[in-house]
This record gives sequence, C-alpha cells and structure tokens, in this order.
Amino acid sequence: MTGNLLFNMLIHPSKVFVDLSQENDATMASIARYSLLVLLLPPIFSWLGGSQFGWRVGGSEPVFFDTTGSIVFSFFYFIILCVGFFGTVVISKWMATTYEAKVSPSLHLSVFTVICAPLVAASIAHLYPDVFFNVLVLVPALIWSVRLLYKGLPVALGISLDQGMLMASSLVGWLLVAAVSLLGICVSLWTNGARALLGI
Amino acid sequence: MKEESQQFYHDDIVTRLVQFSLVWAVVAMFVGVYLSAELLWPELDFGQFWLSFGRLRPLHTNGIIFGFGISALMATAFYTVQRTSHVTLFMPKLAWFCCYAWQLVILLGGLSLLAGWTSTKEYAELEWPFDIAITILWVCFGVVFFGTIARRKIETIYISNWFFGGLIIVIAMLHIVNNLAIPVSIDKSYSLYAGAQDAVVQWWYGHNAVGFLLTGGFLGMMYYFLPKISGQPIWSYRLSVVAFWAFTYSYIWAGPHHLHFNSIPDWVQSLAMAMSLILLAPSWATMINGIMTVSKSSAKLHNNPALKFIVMSLAFYGLATFEGPMMAIKSVNVVSHFTDWTIGHVHSGALGWNAMITYGVFYYLVPKLAGRELYSLRLANIHFWLAVSGTILYILSMWAAGVSQGLLWLSIDELGQLNYTFNDIMAGMKPYYGLRLIAGLVFLSGTILMTFNLFMTIRGQQTVKVRPPAVTMANGVTA
Repeated sequence: MTGNLLFNMLIHPSKVFVDLSQENDATMASIARYSLLVLLLPPIFSWLGGSQFGWRVGGSEPVFFDTTGSIVFSFFYFIILCVGFFGTVVISKWMATTYEAKVSPSLHLSVFTVICAPLVAASIAHLYPDVFFNVLVLVPALIWSVRLLYKGLPVALGISLDQGMLMASSLVGWLLVAAVSLLGICVSLWTNGARALLGI
Repeated sequence: MKEESQQFYHDDIVTRLVQFSLVWAVVAMFVGVYLSAELLWPELDFGQFWLSFGRLRPLHTNGIIFGFGISALMATAFYTVQRTSHVTLFMPKLAWFCCYAWQLVILLGGLSLLAGWTSTKEYAELEWPFDIAITILWVCFGVVFFGTIARRKIETIYISNWFFGGLIIVIAMLHIVNNLAIPVSIDKSYSLYAGAQDAVVQWWYGHNAVGFLLTGGFLGMMYYFLPKISGQPIWSYRLSVVAFWAFTYSYIWAGPHHLHFNSIPDWVQSLAMAMSLILLAPSWATMINGIMTVSKSSAKLHNNPALKFIVMSLAFYGLATFEGPMMAIKSVNVVSHFTDWTIGHVHSGALGWNAMITYGVFYYLVPKLAGRELYSLRLANIHFWLAVSGTILYILSMWAAGVSQGLLWLSIDELGQLNYTFNDIMAGMKPYYGLRLIAGLVFLSGTILMTFNLFMTIRGQQTVKVRPPAVTMANGVTA
C-alpha cells in the first residue's frame, strides 16, 4: 500500500487527488508521513553532495564546507524548507475560506506533499551540486509541480476549475514571493557574517 | 456641434494604437531575443556597428517601453477616459496626431539609436531633437486626456484616471528635468548636470519611469479592465484611492537605491532604501485589491484568456513589487547590484506584469472593438502557458546567474585579492544565458501567436461604433 501510494504520487497524482477529495483519514495520514521525506531528503542530498563534490557556483574551483559548515548549511536548508512548506500549507488553508474550498489542515498538508513530490525526487540533483545542473533538473520538476497545483487543487479541495485556477494563481504569487524572500534572506545572512561562520 | 449623446466614442484611435503596440511588442522582443543570443555568440553582430550589443540594447528597451508600453497606455487611457467620463475624446484630431506622430518619433528614434546617437542615459538614450518631440507629443496627450476629464458628465473621477493622470504629469516632469542638456550638434548634447548630481537626477528619472509609467500607468489599466472582465466591482474603492496617494508620495524618493555604494551621500542611499521598503505597502494594497476583486468572480476562466492573463499578472506584480524593495536593502544589494539578478527582476515586472496585463486587456479589448469573437481560444490558451513558462524560466535562470555572479565577485583570498576574474565568472554564465535565450524565444513565440490571433480577429472589421450612455441624476455632474 505504502509503495503503491508513493508510486501513485509521482506517476498518477490525479488518482491521489481524487482519493484526497474523499477526505479519507487513512489516506491523508499515509501521505502526511511522506511530508517528512519532503523536508528531509533535499538537505540530506545537499549535505552529501556538498561534502563529496563541493558547490560549484560558476567559478572553476568547487567550494568545500568543513564538517561543521556543511551540517550547519544543511540544517538551515531544513529549517527553510520547514518554514516554506508549513507556511504554504497555512496560507493555502487561509485562502481556502476566500475560495470556499475545504479547510481541513491535514487535507492541505497532504495536497502539498503530493504537489512537492516531483521537486523532492528531483532534489537528488543536489548530490552533484553544480548550480547549472541543479537548475536544469529542478526547472522541469518545478513546472510539473506547478501543473499539479493547477490540476490538483480544485479536485482535492472540492472547488470549481475556475475557483481552483484563481486560488492556484494566488498561491503561485505567494510561492514566488517566498522564493525571492529566501534568496534575499540567504544573501543577507551571507553578507552579514554567515559566510565567515561557515569558514568559507 | 452635435450633442454628446449623438456622437460616437473615438475608438478607431484605440484600435490603431493597439495595432501599433502589437507591432512594437514583436519587434522589440525579437531584438531582446537577438541580444540574448549575442551574449552567447558575440559574432552575431557580423562586425556591424548597428548590430552591436551597445546599440541594440537601447533599441530593445526603448521599443518596449515607449513603443509597446506607451502605445498600449495611450490606447487604454483613451478608451477608459471616454467610458468613465461618458463623453467622447476632447480634440480627437489631436488624439490622432498623438497616435501617428508618436510612432514616427519612436521609429526615427530607434533608427537614431542604431546610428549611434545616444545621450548615454539609461531609458533616456534618445538625443535632444527626439526629447523635444516627445515633450510636445506628451503635452498633446495630456491636453486630450485632461480635456476629456474636464468635459466629463460623471462627477467622480474614476481611480483609473487618477493613475493615468499621474502617469502624464509625472513622466512630463521627469522627462523634461532629466533631459535638460546643452546641444553641440544635431546628434550630440551634454547633460546640464555633472558627476554624482547627474547620476542622482538620472535615477530619479529612471526609477520613477518604472514607477509612474510601468507601474502606475498599468495600474490605471488594471483598475478599469479587471472589474469589467471579472464582472465585479473593485473590492475596496477606498483602498484604491489611499493606495494611489501613498504610492505617489513614496515612489518619488526611492530612485537613489540604484546608486548604493556609489559616490553619493550615504544618507541619500539610506533614505532611498527606507522609502523603498515603505513603498511595499501601497504596492501590495493594490495587489490585494486586485486579487480580492477577482476572487468572487463568477466568470469562467477556462474560456476567458483575458482574465487568466490579468490574474497571473497580479501574481508577478506581487513578486516584482516585493523583490524591488528587498533588493534596495543594502546587504542584499551588495550582492545583487551589477549582476543578472537585476535583469531577472526587471523582467519579472516587464514580462510578468506589464506584458501579461496588456495581453489580458488586448484579449478583451480587440474582440470588443472588432465586434466579433476572438479568432482562436485555443491559441490564446497556448499563449498563456507559453507566457507563464517563458517568464518563470527567465526569472529562474537570471536568479541563478545573478547570485553566482554576486557571490563570486565578492570572493577574496586571505590577502584581499579577488579569487575570480571577471572573465572567469562570465565564462561560467553561458549555460544560464542559454536558458534565458530559450525563455525569451518561448515568450516571443507566445506574443507572435497572440498578434496573429488578434490580427485574424480584427481583419476586415470596422471598429464598432458606441455612443456614450445617458447620464443619470445620481452620478452626473451638477450644472
């Protein structure tokens, strides 16, 4: 059942969205467990890649972190993912009132776990942390996730396609802002001493 | 002279301006794509000066801003001001003069840029003869617009007209002050200002052109067409008025954030940073007003490309107006300045906000002007996804390139020497520039599809004639 669910989340997400629309507690609980993978796998891949190959950000020489630095880096990555993921779930639940969608928190958590699944699978690219390679792998995964957002939201939350499109577009707005905030926060921390703390 | 109710709105001017805007969109975006290819393959200039990056780049920016953008703004301002005032245009012959003379100035101005005439000021590269011509035409635009407002039959001046009015007044002020110069020949002049003062004036102009033209002007468009297309009144009219004045007050201070860490006083930089952060409030108030307006709409999005484009443009408006203040923070700017992150930011606004809202408005307006259904709904839907994916790919590639550049430029060894040379860093940018070229091609192909679609919609049709409606006692101007 568990393997089946994971397979369906990646290959047949529409089936999972239909299951979720029934608000079946067992299905939601199974999917919610995968949210832990959503949060853990990218930092683990990043830690492994960073310590084995070093980060390539365009220059010729890879940048290596020491053990503490790479753990701190991956830990912050995990924290940022938690804030981003749970922030999106909360925002989605908040928006649900406006768009007259179902408001169950566990439903929203499960929906976003399914939507994030392609991105998590693609984060395996962190094992070879070259920025361009990661952009190349993550962009198609991101497009797939955005497609799931538009297709899955109205089905799982029981709203019309039109309302679903409006809500998905509002969430895209939030996600774009969250992404650029993340970029800004990281850069600001970097220039305000995080770089020295990491020993780079 | 005929009674107002016996006359027709001058929508044929609107139709012609929309057509010009579409032509400029295709031409100027093609130039942009060509430029992005030149960054990958510099030999594409074929040794010709007029094909060099330095000459094509201002043609791209001026073509988009003054050709595509202002033609669209003139079209929508003329359309909106007639319908919200319940009168026909004031001095329609002058409006026709604006329409054609503007295109002539942009065409000749574009050729002058290719010939190497340039004032060197970003977004104000056109030399003094064109500056004078633009000033005259802008005054004509103002006479038609404010003349129509003055003759209005509706007491309230609708919020769109405040934004269009702000556009006309502030751009006139910025254009004249920034372009004050001493001509030495027909193709060369020198700025009246020197050194750091020139830089401050230039970025007061540059940033407020973004503010009052690319933001304020297009908000005027949004406030008329979003309620029309969604069939809903504005969520909060009061908020729209408060946001207008807050926007007008706070935007004008923010320009020097383009000059962080340069030779202007530190307090000027800090003030610009603070005002940029304050600017987020009115910008987002407008975005929230737009999103809440459309949230209760019963319009069917799947067969309404106009609404789809406008809804998506609001998401990108939210991104661009958040990203701008964030990049004005000095500790972020130290990394982002002089990198492709800035290019990504500009295009999140230009493609995601300006182009998409204009496309949405055109998909609504052209069938109305032509008096027939859109030629192909399917093509419009394909265009929507091409526009969204092109914009997102563009932004992501420039974020990755920009952050890489910023961090590598700041990287120094224990002796304080640069770890990477400029050439080293730029050599690593080719893959991102390749992605940007693909993104540009995707976006341009969508624009070409739309142009074909709208051309087929309007082909062989005369602009529909509409009379101003009768004015009721409740909303009419008292004598």
